[in-house]
Amino acid sequence: MKNSFDEKILEEAQDWLSAKRNVILATVTQTWGSSPRPVGSRMIVNDKGDFSGSVSGGCVETAVVRECLSLLKDKKAHKKIEFKVSNESAWEIGLACGGEIAIFLEQIN
Amino acid sequence: MKKQLLKEIIEKKEKKIEFAIITDLQNGESCIFEKNKPIDRNFEKYKDKIDLHFSNKKDGIIEGTNIFVETYIRPIKVIIVGAVHIAQYLVNFAKSLNFEISIIDPRGYFATEKRFPNIKIINKWPKEAFEDIETNQNSALIALTHDPKIDDPALQHAIKKNFFYIGALGSKKTHENRCKRLKEAGFKDEEIKRIFGPIGIKLGGRSAPEIALSIIAQLVAEAYKK
Repeated sequence: MKNSFDEKILEEAQDWLSAKRNVILATVTQTWGSSPRPVGSRMIVNDKGDFSGSVSGGCVETAVVRECLSLLKDKKAHKKIEFKVSNESAWEIGLACGGEIAIFLEQIN
Repeated sequence: MKKQLLKEIIEKKEKKIEFAIITDLQNGESCIFEKNKPIDRNFEKYKDKIDLHFSNKKDGIIEGTNIFVETYIRPIKVIIVGAVHIAQYLVNFAKSLNFEISIIDPRGYFATEKRFPNIKIINKWPKEAFEDIETNQNSALIALTHDPKIDDPALQHAIKKNFFYIGALGSKKTHENRCKRLKEAGFKDEEIKRIFGPIGIKLGGRSAPEIALSIIAQLVAEAYKK
């Protein structure tokens, strides 16, 4: 359920599109364990690599940006990605909280 | 997602319509779902399951499918009575939470466009003002004037319309007197008890932005109890 506490990510995507940018929408579709953000959380990425919103507490956003840019490069319309628990190495991409998340990436076209 | 769909989603959000976004994670197709409206034929066979997710206001993948459902419910309407200093900070918090805000204050000197840019200001007494605003259990009232002439009629309206949050500024003593007046006006104890007075959670702060924060915190906490 999204209520009025919803962030204005989709509205921002619209602004980016008006500015003639290519935009990828990333949505959390599934979570397991103690994931930082709930199902339905969103983030957007454009072809310059700018991003807004979040799908975790900052743990996997850089990886999501990278995935979005490669989606654009490969001219693919959509893709599903998953992130699991990270190990000791703090800089490795993963969720330090011990949760798992699935994210759906889709180009707005 | 198609650009056209994104546009329609934003329009529905702005019009405060309840809807869901349905996405087939296999092929990337998506559409808008509204209760009692025909569903996109690509999703027809999942209609009953989508309906169930929608009634439960549940986001997620429908079990055993690749269909992702994301529901949107009507946003909260916050009505502030009294275009006072605290209200200026409340407006800022309420904006970042995407609440729909209206300010009622018959005193034109307070409720000006300059003090509250881009906010719906109603320069009328509450009784008339509520004729211009549709209210229901998704509405919240923040009464800030601590003037019975202005606050009381608004509080009475909020109780009658079963607002999910009703708060009134003023000391314990002011609140006791307020409760007495409402009782005399025929309201039951359990109705009067629904008013948060003195308003806000205990933060300890006394400045206008601190009070605004304590009010908004209480309002959000109540929204999740609905």
